[in-house]
Amino acid sequence: MDQKLLPVGREEPLLVTGAGGFIGTRTVVRLLEHGYRNIRCFARPSRDIGHLMKLKRDTGANLEIVQGNLLSPQDCGRAAEGVPVVYHLAAGKGLKSMSDAYLNSVVTTRNLMEAALASGRLLRFVNISSFSVYSNIRMKPGSLLDESCPMEDPPERKGEAYAYAKIMQDKLVIEYGEKKGLPYVILRPGVVYGPGVKGIHGRIGIDTFGPFLHIGGSNRIPLTYVDNCAEAIVLAGLTDGIDGEVFNVVDDDLPTSRQFLRMYKKNVAPFRSYYVPKAGSRIFCDLWERYSDWSDGQLPAVFNSTRWSCDWKGNSYSNMKLKMRVGWRPHVPFGEASARFFDYCRTAGGEK
Amino acid sequence: MIKAAIIGCGKIADEHASLMATLPDCAIVGVCDREELMAKQLAERYRVGRHFVDAHAMLEEVQPDVVHITTPPQSHFSLGSLCLETGAHVFLEKPFTVTAQEAESLIDLARRKDRMVTVGHNNQFSHESMEMRELVEAGFLGGPPIHMESCFPYGLKDPYGQALLGDRNHWVRALPGKLLHNVISHPVSKIAEFMPDPSPIVTAVGYTSPYLREMGHGDVVDELRVIIQSTDRTVSAYLTFSSQIGPPMFQFRLYGPENSLVLDHNQRTLIQLRKADARTSYLNHFIAPRVHARKYLANASRNISRFLRRDFHMDYGRRQLVRRFYRATQGKGPEPIPYREIILTARIMDTIFEQINGTYPGGTPI
Repeated sequence: MDQKLLPVGREEPLLVTGAGGFIGTRTVVRLLEHGYRNIRCFARPSRDIGHLMKLKRDTGANLEIVQGNLLSPQDCGRAAEGVPVVYHLAAGKGLKSMSDAYLNSVVTTRNLMEAALASGRLLRFVNISSFSVYSNIRMKPGSLLDESCPMEDPPERKGEAYAYAKIMQDKLVIEYGEKKGLPYVILRPGVVYGPGVKGIHGRIGIDTFGPFLHIGGSNRIPLTYVDNCAEAIVLAGLTDGIDGEVFNVVDDDLPTSRQFLRMYKKNVAPFRSYYVPKAGSRIFCDLWERYSDWSDGQLPAVFNSTRWSCDWKGNSYSNMKLKMRVGWRPHVPFGEASARFFDYCRTAGGEK
Repeated sequence: MIKAAIIGCGKIADEHASLMATLPDCAIVGVCDREELMAKQLAERYRVGRHFVDAHAMLEEVQPDVVHITTPPQSHFSLGSLCLETGAHVFLEKPFTVTAQEAESLIDLARRKDRMVTVGHNNQFSHESMEMRELVEAGFLGGPPIHMESCFPYGLKDPYGQALLGDRNHWVRALPGKLLHNVISHPVSKIAEFMPDPSPIVTAVGYTSPYLREMGHGDVVDELRVIIQSTDRTVSAYLTFSSQIGPPMFQFRLYGPENSLVLDHNQRTLIQLRKADARTSYLNHFIAPRVHARKYLANASRNISRFLRRDFHMDYGRRQLVRRFYRATQGKGPEPIPYREIILTARIMDTIFEQINGTYPGGTPI
């Protein structure tokens, strides 16, 4: 790595929130592989931490597992004490209510930022965001979606609690950077895949109505393999001179939706899918949204023009900024990454 | 224009705010939460002019006509009293209060202040519940109810369940009845509606499912069986609450001397069981299922018809309840949920929690 690193000692404690999760666990592993031996792993009490305990036993590293709730300022204080780098991966996922998602993403982040600033040792706060924050509604199909693209405005327009909360979280982090001098970096991974998460992402298609509808067509899917994403996260926390920057995380050699679906069927489980042309999915989403408005929400507007733009319009993506400024490279190429993913899906019971 | 406000800007507040935004002649003039970020986000999304972190300040400054209280139940009594004292009508999320004593005091205060209170028992205003009520009032049962069965499922893997299990300090755990306390007012209120005795005999058994025990949550009771009887032994009811039964069934059965009713909140159906449909001959085994099938088909048709008329929203019950409450606050109707029913629900719940938290043996092995 050619980039200059922050003055962080290998034995200093580094905090990873959401450490028991899909990306969090891999982030801890990558930190250990980079030689950092003192990792404070923060996880919810309900999270199974058996794999973290095993990692601790196997590596002999100083993995300090802290279970708590980021809604508690005391728990945040405990987690952030003496920590120079915070990797904030914890997020409220799978929540339908916007208030709930906000509480579990934004209020928690505020608590953690306050605690990290109060600890007095903070050099970097890595905030893990998402591609879902971007608005591409005014972009032409196929155009480049990069870090300069605006966030959705108003943030609730997509109708997804997760996207709304992530936008608000990013805004708050930026505000803390401007007003309180928080040394932050925001990372926005695309579609993170790998062993640990099975199934096909909604950008490729959906089976909401029974049969699998392939909607993505020739769109490139902004995939990033979990180990590659974890590497980007680790480097974003250690690289000097990137405070206040935003980085998208996508791998090289991104497949199209059609290519990925074909590979999935071949390697995991064959099933019948029905291709929906782009115009068809667009009309469907528009009609659904209009019906939702007309019927006063009898059917919630889960399909709408904003979601269609985000998931199915199709863009091109770049990881140049991450490569140039952070020195990141996707070490696991798509061929190997997809093979590992398909193996996992097959073993875990392939599902659409 | 009715000036409305919300205290408590968590997940359930979204549903209230969405509904209030659809009401004619209603404006949300203030929202309040002790966590300012939560108040601010709700205010921004619903274009509410003012947000507050102090309920006193909000009540004083925006002087709402109606306040929706969507905070944890531990604060319902104090906040409800505060709002009533300042002259506002109060819509409380369930459970109404923590204890029956609080419920009685709050209703008493509402009466004295000539204000109205209600509780978010939205299932009482689903299409099927209202249809059941009308049939009972029209004498469909052929006499007073004899027995009821109220079955309520709970999904521990749903976000609500996960939030509880993920936080040992979750406010639900601080309630006397913990998980049960936060949810069983729904199935209890269905029994309370048709239970004539204001002080019935309650026998409750509660325990922790093996699923929760294995997860280390032995302190949370998620299985409950209750028998409720009127003191004169003329009406009885069973209550089943379970996090383990599959598929989840939210049903209420009401048995009368002539006919009976089976209400299913999951399917949104109401099946009328008539004595006349049951034949005493062997043919009953062939004809009765066809009669039943026709009744289910009729329910399906009715639901489709309601859907086509834009009258089949997922939150239909809550919509009806809120609208009726607002009409009632303007003197255009009675309180949507009778106070008798609110108090009886609270009394039954008190007794259940006393028994499952106390030394009640819960049966003897034979």
